Amino acid sequence: MSSHRLPPQPGEVIDRSTVINFTWNGQPVIGLAGDTIASALAAQGVDVFSRSMKYHRHRGIMTADHWDPNLSLQVDDEPNVRAGTRLLAEGMQVSTQNVWPSLQHDVGVLNKAVGRFLSAGFYYKTFMKPKFLWDNVYQSVLRKFAPGGRVHWKTSTHGAYDKRYAHPDVLVAGGGPAGMAAALGAAQAGASVLLVEMAPELGGHLCWGNDAERAALDKLTTAVIAEANIEVMTRSTVTGRYDHNWVAVMQGDHPLAPERLVKARVGSLVVAPGLIERPLIFSGNDIPGVMLSGAARRLINLWAVKPGQRAVVLTANAEGDAAVKDLQAAGVEVVEVVDVRTGAMVASAVGKSRLQKVVLEDGRTIEADLLVTATGWTAPTSLLNMAGNRPVYDPQAARYFPENLPEEILTSGGIAGNGSTDELIAHGSATGVLAANRSLRLRHSRRAATARSRSPEGPAPEALTDTRTPLRREAHPECYRASTHGFVDYAEDVSSKDLIQAAGEGFDSIELMKRYTTVTMGPAQGKLETVNAAAVLAESRGMDLADIGTTVWRPPFAPISLGALAGRIFEPVRRSALQDWHEAHGATALLAGQWVRPDHYGDAVAEAQNVRNGVGIIDVTPLGKIDLQGPDVAKLLELVYVNRWESLKVGRVRYGAMVAEDGVVSDDGVTGRLSENHWLMTTTSSGAGAVWEMLEDWLQTGHPEWQVHVTPVTGGLTSINVAGPHSRQLLERLVSNVDLSSDAFPYFSVRQGTVADVPDCVIWRIGFTGELSFEVHVPSGHALAVWEALLAEGQDLGCAPFGVEAQRILRLEKGHYIVGQDTDGLSKAPTAGLGGLVKLDKTDTIGLPELRAAYQREDLPILVAVQPDDPTVLPEEAAQIVDGQTATILGRVTSSRHSPTLGRSICLAQVAPQLAAPGTVITVLMADGRRIPATVQEHHAHLDHQGARQRV
Amino acid sequence: MSDLLFQSPLNKAELTSPGGNIGLTDESATTKILVRGQGPAVAYGQSKLLPNGTLICGSRPDEWTFLAGPGKSAEVQAGIDQSEATTIVDITHGRAMMRLFGPAATQALAKVCSIDLADDLTPDGAVFSASVAKVTCDLVRSDSQGIQAYLISCERSFGAYLISAVADAAQEFGLGVPAELSLH
Repeated sequence: MSSHRLPPQPGEVIDRSTVINFTWNGQPVIGLAGDTIASALAAQGVDVFSRSMKYHRHRGIMTADHWDPNLSLQVDDEPNVRAGTRLLAEGMQVSTQNVWPSLQHDVGVLNKAVGRFLSAGFYYKTFMKPKFLWDNVYQSVLRKFAPGGRVHWKTSTHGAYDKRYAHPDVLVAGGGPAGMAAALGAAQAGASVLLVEMAPELGGHLCWGNDAERAALDKLTTAVIAEANIEVMTRSTVTGRYDHNWVAVMQGDHPLAPERLVKARVGSLVVAPGLIERPLIFSGNDIPGVMLSGAARRLINLWAVKPGQRAVVLTANAEGDAAVKDLQAAGVEVVEVVDVRTGAMVASAVGKSRLQKVVLEDGRTIEADLLVTATGWTAPTSLLNMAGNRPVYDPQAARYFPENLPEEILTSGGIAGNGSTDELIAHGSATGVLAANRSLRLRHSRRAATARSRSPEGPAPEALTDTRTPLRREAHPECYRASTHGFVDYAEDVSSKDLIQAAGEGFDSIELMKRYTTVTMGPAQGKLETVNAAAVLAESRGMDLADIGTTVWRPPFAPISLGALAGRIFEPVRRSALQDWHEAHGATALLAGQWVRPDHYGDAVAEAQNVRNGVGIIDVTPLGKIDLQGPDVAKLLELVYVNRWESLKVGRVRYGAMVAEDGVVSDDGVTGRLSENHWLMTTTSSGAGAVWEMLEDWLQTGHPEWQVHVTPVTGGLTSINVAGPHSRQLLERLVSNVDLSSDAFPYFSVRQGTVADVPDCVIWRIGFTGELSFEVHVPSGHALAVWEALLAEGQDLGCAPFGVEAQRILRLEKGHYIVGQDTDGLSKAPTAGLGGLVKLDKTDTIGLPELRAAYQREDLPILVAVQPDDPTVLPEEAAQIVDGQTATILGRVTSSRHSPTLGRSICLAQVAPQLAAPGTVITVLMADGRRIPATVQEHHAHLDHQGARQRV
Repeated sequence: MSDLLFQSPLNKAELTSPGGNIGLTDESATTKILVRGQGPAVAYGQSKLLPNGTLICGSRPDEWTFLAGPGKSAEVQAGIDQSEATTIVDITHGRAMMRLFGPAATQALAKVCSIDLADDLTPDGAVFSASVAKVTCDLVRSDSQGIQAYLISCERSFGAYLISAVADAAQEFGLGVPAELSLH
């Protein structure tokens, strides 16, 4: 490769003293600090950077910036890197994507031979028949030709993505002269400002401008850096604008993360992204060596790269004229200037891996290796579209302009009009002042309305009127397509012929055409293609471009890594005060909702047997616990539970079930009355939060006159269930001030006392296992002491911990149902067997009308206990209950376990009412297809349905 | 009870950065008393430091949290004007609490909390509730000698996770984070 590096240029951003080594398709290459990947390769004489998606045509530099459709490269393990803006780094391994076996000899080029089958909409016309080939042939072949690089996720070495929030008064999208001036204007008016620029440096077109423009840039840069109220992000993109000026920024210049998503709530958004140069449609417009004027000027002025030897320049504006001067100054022979303003035009370009000649409309053919085009601009109105704005086409200026913007969004710079550097800066500055004024007025009202804030000093700032001098709309020729056809969307290989064909097939609205042809659906998302596509459609339909409309730009403004969207992974988990102990003692962790729990300590069956025969302890902290205080608590309980509560005496406990307004069982638990006006409610583990919110909702909106205060205390009270025939004996050794005898402390009672010298414990005589048991609620800061004391004092009684799995076995033996497992989102109270509990004569209970209706029905499924006739067969949970040998479903198994106490399999199941009678033999369809008989039991409890074991 | 060892969900973590840019300490043993109904004359969203060191926080409308040194539950409760319409709950054991402090504290918190933490909207003494790394938290801006600091409390069971998440956010600003507190 030969060097195309120019002598030092006045505005170059490269450091010639720092050489950077990297590889290009496996070959060692050098660049300079400050080079982008593309500029470094161009300096080394690389012409072909990629192959096109469908036809695998040679592609080279076209825009030399973020939007370049030909510069998506693989860098190390990162695919689709924008080589036009990604700065070179030592050791980078850069390679082309979507080629095989190599960039030079790519077999994909054979697609050209079948190109006529790959025209518009071919996705919808091919690979349809024969259908059986889809899985084994079409998919695998298409995947080989899929564009884009490869994610080496197993060996990925880049760091974690990151996220932060920001609340700038003013966010300026675009760091050109207008954007920088807007930032300064806003900051000097007292606003905090976030200035975001896609390129590696601020300045926009001033970066590659003349001496005066660079001097202006230096002055602006110095001022921006000195302004403490401005935070600058370069290599960063404002990717989306959402309601209430919620703006997403993808920060690319952060040293600790490859990308950081900044979620900004912005007072005023200033959109100043400049303009994007538009390519011209003509035959051969994608040949390496055909590039836009901005690309040529950036290569020369920023990175001192000579883009070619003999150039033809097609110009319709001042930027093209400036390109002529830059090329000449760089020693490029400008052999022809084709000035659109005089009626001249290029007809086609000829070449393969590099431009060889240019054919003009006047019939002349000129040998050249470089064709620079400057034929107009696209206004990147994406952020404005996201705010609901539809830009309006101005044929005199040959571009779209925003109109009627909401107050919190302002525009400046090229998107708003044309101007000299001074005019752009003046407009930007005035825009910044206006944006700051609007934002600070908003901030004043926010402070006044925010409880935590410092009260605003004085009145809100007076509202400024918009007195900005509008930027001009300079006349520009409307040139979109030459007399020949060429590519409209380079990334998708969509040509103007394709668009005309699509319109002919009936896809003649811009939105339909986009979806049918995929035009504008590549990585640039229409930044280069939208206007040209609309122009071709207008031409084919014989309409004015202004009447065609545009596609709607939605977020993201530019492609985003999925990893950046994921950001840091926050998955809250909850741990009881005893979880460290469980893990240190061999517990297998179980994630139950957000809670980490001990599933078992090695042998769940042995743990269950120890509870039946001796005593065990289990950490049941996730059980929801809600402190209720006030004289009207009983009224609240009457409202939310299906049963009665007014009569519950102090020291007693009652089971309650809740239903939603539709009568479906929503939660259950026990509630104890600790004193006249102090109650403690328990809920299911998963329902604790919802029940708390429901209680607060009713108190704040339904019955604000009731004096009740609700406080969730789930984590503050570590819950330890002491279960088994020896549980009373064990607790008596540790409880100092509560009589635990059956007479003094009967079943379904609650006391407050001291356990293992820890005061303020709540002791419940309840249980879920069917054994004599006590539940001890301990202030969590002392829970470990109580847990260890129980184990130590119970050593001679065989006390051992048991986990969730043993508890599930025990509760199923006892026939206790679990809301959410044995019931579902359709299970009304009759299904759960709450008949004796529900008081239909109450005056008010949530869901009461539905409950009354439900108890009139005879078609609701019923929860029953079921035992397989073969005690060794264990149906899976969710196994279907079917009608004999048919496929008619009559229910399902909701819980199943092997019972070590009974030596057989046991289940709970929801069955159709005709199967609910005790003794009914039902058919369970096993996962392996077998149909097994099982018999409905008389009671939910498989063991001790009279409760003799727990009432001792 | 004050003789009993208080077991913190945050394991008495004390993390700092070499230059003092940021620090994170366990404050879970702090006495925390929730008062609802009729309470002190401290407005919602504001806080007031009493001469005895008790910080009264206006946590929500008609709801205050009294924060005092460890083991001072009885003392704090005795000082509260109790009426029939007042409810007092000791939530010391139910809330994990940490202090994030240092010149970079606000920047670190802004990585995991979406609230506007600017000085005028969240000044020293501000009390607010917010999601911190997806956990519902109560926060107090509690500067010390002009250095930014935030008291962050959450339901106790989330504590171990939350301190890892906050430490992860603060790592960028120099906080030394031991392996056992690593989030990923």
